[in-house]
Amino acid sequence: MDTAMNRRRFDAAFVVQVIGIAAFAYFFFGFMLLPCLNTLTSIFNVTNAAGERDPLAVIRFFFAGNMGRYVWNSLKLAICLVITVNVVGVSIVLLTEYFDIKGARILRLGYMTTMIYSGVALVTGYLFLYASDGILTTALTHAFPQFNASWFSGFNAVLFTMTFACTSNHALFLRNAIRGIDYNTVEAARNMGAKPFKVLRKVVFPTLVPTMFSLTVMTFITGLCAMSAPTLLGYDSINPEIVRLAGSSTADESFPQARAALLSIILALFTIVLLTVLSAYERKGHYLSVSKTKARLQKQKITNPVWNALAHIYAYILFIIYMTPVVMIVIFSFQTYGAIRMKKLDLSNWTLVNFFGTQDYQYLTSRGTYKVRKGSISGLFANEATLGGIKMSFVLSILAAALACLIVVIACNYIFKTRNKKMGIVLEYCLLFPWLLPTILICYSYRTYFNTDAIWYVGNTNLYFAENVRILLVLAYTVVKLPFSLRMIKASFYAIDNELEDAARNMGASGLVTFLKVKLPIILPSVLAVFALNFNALFTEYDMSATFASSYGTSYAMVIQAMCREEGLYGYNVNASGRRCASTVFIMLVSGLILYLVYGVGARDLGERLEAKERRRRRLERLSGVFHKKTAGQSPSGTTGGEK
Amino acid sequence: MIRLNDIVVKFGDFTALHGINVHVKEGEFFTFLGPSGCGKTTTLRTITGFIEPAAGTVVVKGRDITHVPIEDRNIGIVFQSYALFPTMTVYDNIAFGLKVKKVKKSEIDQKVRQIAKKVDLSDEQLAKAVSQLSGGQQQRVAIARALVTGPAIICMDEPLSNLDAKLRVQLRNELKKMQKDFGITTIYVTHDQEEALTLSDRIAVFNKGVIEQIGTPNEVYNHSQTEFVCNFIGDINRLNDDTVAALKAAGAAVDGSRHNYIRLERLHVNVAPRGGELTLDGTVENCEYYGLYIKYYIHIGSQTLKVIEKNDGVNIYEPGQQVKVVLNPGDIMAYNAPAEVE
Repeated sequence: MDTAMNRRRFDAAFVVQVIGIAAFAYFFFGFMLLPCLNTLTSIFNVTNAAGERDPLAVIRFFFAGNMGRYVWNSLKLAICLVITVNVVGVSIVLLTEYFDIKGARILRLGYMTTMIYSGVALVTGYLFLYASDGILTTALTHAFPQFNASWFSGFNAVLFTMTFACTSNHALFLRNAIRGIDYNTVEAARNMGAKPFKVLRKVVFPTLVPTMFSLTVMTFITGLCAMSAPTLLGYDSINPEIVRLAGSSTADESFPQARAALLSIILALFTIVLLTVLSAYERKGHYLSVSKTKARLQKQKITNPVWNALAHIYAYILFIIYMTPVVMIVIFSFQTYGAIRMKKLDLSNWTLVNFFGTQDYQYLTSRGTYKVRKGSISGLFANEATLGGIKMSFVLSILAAALACLIVVIACNYIFKTRNKKMGIVLEYCLLFPWLLPTILICYSYRTYFNTDAIWYVGNTNLYFAENVRILLVLAYTVVKLPFSLRMIKASFYAIDNELEDAARNMGASGLVTFLKVKLPIILPSVLAVFALNFNALFTEYDMSATFASSYGTSYAMVIQAMCREEGLYGYNVNASGRRCASTVFIMLVSGLILYLVYGVGARDLGERLEAKERRRRRLERLSGVFHKKTAGQSPSGTTGGEK
Repeated sequence: MIRLNDIVVKFGDFTALHGINVHVKEGEFFTFLGPSGCGKTTTLRTITGFIEPAAGTVVVKGRDITHVPIEDRNIGIVFQSYALFPTMTVYDNIAFGLKVKKVKKSEIDQKVRQIAKKVDLSDEQLAKAVSQLSGGQQQRVAIARALVTGPAIICMDEPLSNLDAKLRVQLRNELKKMQKDFGITTIYVTHDQEEALTLSDRIAVFNKGVIEQIGTPNEVYNHSQTEFVCNFIGDINRLNDDTVAALKAAGAAVDGSRHNYIRLERLHVNVAPRGGELTLDGTVENCEYYGLYIKYYIHIGSQTLKVIEKNDGVNIYEPGQQVKVVLNPGDIMAYNAPAEVE
């Protein structure tokens, strides 16, 4: 009987496993591999002007025409970005963590603002300040009439913006690496006669090299795949060109789709090579502290007064660069459209209209009469288009973030449980596959591959048509977030002691109960953190929705981007700049809240949560005790007074 | 109570257990002792059902449970790491098994509080997270959790191995007391011979997937049946050919063709030999001071013998000092040469 019972259990588990594998295979082949392979083959599936098939036409075009310019521009940006980001990134970490700089805590907060403020929001913020009609540029041209008002455009503007936008990883990972240094090694070097800068060069830097190498590769890929900054600041790099070509037709230019495919494949090749190099480097192993009793790093005083003063000046200049856009945007989000248009702070006139409510706009027509445009001034949560973008991004991001977490949790549970290790490895690599591909390749592939009703496995439905594009967006968001989710959630699965599972089984819990009651609560904080971080990244995502370029899938970031060019046209959207500022403030609040929930509340274990609960209870008791005492003392016929 | 009959466990081509036969009596504290990788945990996991044997049977109270699912075996386990669920409170940890069995809430509450009282856990501690408890308290939670469902047997897999030396001794005593109080049949796995000797009613000494000896602590220590057991349990001197020859010359009946061993505490320094005892001349090479006793390294002929003497504060010998080592040839344990340990 026991054997029969076991067999039944085995059969049920086997059926669930087969269904799971089939579903995953459908997802992997249908939405990861086939669309990308289609993009690859489309490069060679070209007909020339004579109507003949010419597989190498695009390749020839690439070498003959100016397509190489886009690749070179992207490479140039990536190379320069590696230098500038590393210089600024290493500087901010050393200035706040290694050297004794006054006000380091405040500086750190300033340097970390890019964590709650990035992508389109950051680029538009910089535009708000530095564009030809930006606040700072206007102020500078007033002060110095010879000043070139168009200084903030093209390569320099992209490099400047991205340099400060891409230091978040340094602020996180390099900071952790420098904090992991055993201070005894620094003391030992000093004891042996090394000067502070020699210690920095010979003891501290070598331990940071592995982290810096990873950051360098990631920065290079970021530069190569840059989208929002080149698009908004006007720089001809690969990604904006792919989006442009994807929206073009053969009537306008030669085989635009195949050219877009070629560019995205080139981008993918670069990414694959770089990630292979990174993986090979990581496999070589890293520096590991052998210290059993690690001493906490002490901040180093710069003894030379000149160097010390220069370091302080440098630190605060960087702080100003980081903080100015944030402060200006927050301030101007509460200013009227008039103040924003005049680029002048009006301290007597603050408003919430950029956030809430609507106002009418009265303007002078060319006939000399005044006209009123009803509701032309509208707040972030009152403007239909903006609210639509927020809603769209909110729903799509939540769905995709949840879907990515769900897929990865199920996959990890299988990977860690299966005795078939090879199957587990295959599954893991399949989930990491999108990591090798630039997001634009995935989105472009979806856009072209599913723009037909001939794909049988999606029910012969054109997924790029009308509202269906939202399904594609959710799928693309999900696929893109799978590698990150896998890396994070898999790490949390390692925290599950095998004995916990054995203990649960021993006490009679089924596989499902063990998963739900024992394993899931352990990994839940990590899963929720990944969900929140995925949501945070997708909520303000621009690159993918811009690649789809569909009016049915207009994301919040696209709405923000659109605000840059629609302000005040014919009396519409009069306060678009104000709403743009308000949008950035809203994004900062959402991101800040998510980061607080993830790294603040979410990082606590049950013990810490219970302790916090206990502290709250005691505080409440103390408060109510004080309150009771007061009320008893105030009461004219109080018994307390009588007893006294 | 528990019978393991010819248990064979294989992992691929590797045979982990080669026909294990054990009989554990009701209420007994039975220990599986052996070095790492000898098969003791594999045997325990076979009893608990985590491993299915390739051959042989596991019989509990006359019922063959070899193929019975883990959850239906009615065996409680205390894991090496305690395996307490970190996301649950102490109360929920203890109540888990009862909840899974869908016991009524009121009954769960009653049983949890009852067992908590028995293992000395307060109501306040029940409301805490397991991470807020000390190592000793965590162990009590693990025992309470294993016992609350009323198992017939409790299995413990090196439950003291994660603790520091002082706490180990303290908890060892508590563990023994609890086992006696509950009167439950206990199977205990450890590689620590001191733990095994102090806790167990009987010990099975494992080596390379076979049981070398089953016996009481006294039998295993003083009458080790195999050379491995004699070597593994306690510290011991192996007498070399020169020492054996010297003993023979002094009139001892020692077989030089066998491997001869003598325990450290069976050797005495500078005492008057009693009936049948022999004396060997030696020089103190080194001494280690342990407080309660002193360990001497005494050079005799061509070998150094270790000797333990009670620290009486008077008879203390310095390195270089000439001493006389006294032993009773009857205390020598001899084993046939082919059984030599690698």
